Amino acid sequence: MQRDVKIETLIAMSMGVFAALAVTAFLVPFENDNTRIFFVALSAVLVSINVFGFIMVWHASPTIIDEIFLMTPDGRLLKHYTRRLKPDQDDDILAGMLTAVQNFIKESFEEAGGRLKEIRFENYDIFVSHSKSVVIAAIISTKKPEKLRTQMRLVTDDIEKQYGHKLLNWSGDKADLVGVDTLMKKLLAGKYR
Amino acid sequence: MELKELLKKVVMLGDGAVGKTSLTARYVVNKFDDKYIATIGTKVSKKDMQLTKPNLIINLRLMIWDILGQKEYSKIRTASLSGAQGVILVGDLTRPETVKSLDAFWIPEIESAVGKIPTVLMGNKYDLVGNGSESVEVLESIGECRGYPTFLASAKTGENVEDAFATLGEMLVADVVASRPKNAEEAPQTLSEAVDFIIQDFCAQYGDLEKAMLIVQHQFEEAGVDIRKPSREAVLQALEGLAKAEELSLTKTVAAVNLEERQRMVVLAKG
Repeated sequence: MQRDVKIETLIAMSMGVFAALAVTAFLVPFENDNTRIFFVALSAVLVSINVFGFIMVWHASPTIIDEIFLMTPDGRLLKHYTRRLKPDQDDDILAGMLTAVQNFIKESFEEAGGRLKEIRFENYDIFVSHSKSVVIAAIISTKKPEKLRTQMRLVTDDIEKQYGHKLLNWSGDKADLVGVDTLMKKLLAGKYR
Repeated sequence: MELKELLKKVVMLGDGAVGKTSLTARYVVNKFDDKYIATIGTKVSKKDMQLTKPNLIINLRLMIWDILGQKEYSKIRTASLSGAQGVILVGDLTRPETVKSLDAFWIPEIESAVGKIPTVLMGNKYDLVGNGSESVEVLESIGECRGYPTFLASAKTGENVEDAFATLGEMLVADVVASRPKNAEEAPQTLSEAVDFIIQDFCAQYGDLEKAMLIVQHQFEEAGVDIRKPSREAVLQALEGLAKAEELSLTKTVAAVNLEERQRMVVLAKG
């Protein structure tokens, strides 16, 4: 199943199938009305099962995170995880520019307060989660992940608790981040709590 | 030999059109167009350098934020300055006012945003002015007064550009020391202990434990090292292979230093 198919599309398709079957049931010359009602009822049951199945599959399918940037609020990349090799992409520079863009937007909409939480570009969504000394940006190209927001919030808080004191005035030593991979890999696998 | 990887944020500041972007362009990895400086106020690039200290090799990555020089954009500038650990202040030697503004505007601005941090002064377009020019004297006196290293540079010829970045790099790691000082008593005594230490050290420096162990296994097999009862000759041969792998994953300098140290360890080991 295509991961980016919306649930609304699946339901519309199922209803279309139901409509086609129902119209057929009225057009076909059945021997009596009971047979016709039975055929329509059977179609309705089948379509309901279909819709229910689609909903279950849609809910169960994990959100696939394409890339995650774990950064300091000042734009230094702590860790980068990706499912795809991008030889032309420099992760450190991209993290810096992503922070620069966030700064720009924050300053441009100063009166609104707050911080940038989401960027959408064509098929990509970039979700950003902030804490005092950590920023996580996740790039996804699958369905809208409501659960991902919660998971990102949880992992951001946990990293803040465990590493915040080191990252607040970070010396830049990557050895300070021992163990962070375990947390991030759980998030990547969609199994963060 | 301990290996540290450090990531530091450095900002380039100075009046508009003094040559900050040109100086950066000569020296760093650029991935984004210069137009971003005018549009979002910043462009980020990076430079890797390697510094050596007693028992320590530092792979230093400088993330260089080239920030819009127009003084009016103070909010964007303050946001970009956040977390900066080093500054390169640039003045145009053909425009004395841009050099004077380093002391009058930029240094106080930085100090109010991030406090006193390692700073280097650069006078750009040195190829167009003489030694006795007013700008040169002003820049040198600011540097002397503030205690900042001063470089008369040229983005056009490349003169002193690399030196300025290298000096800032050294200032940024001035306090960094090896975290596990050498202790003769802790050094491996037997050949087996030395081999064990080398494997651990190779894996730690390589980063990816799984791949590192595959490389070790391959090199040991090639050299005929029996891990239960290693022979000195076979281990020395395997070290050459490990050094070649490190040349690719780390750098030639690190690989050479590691090889020398491991060879000494193996030669001095008992058994």
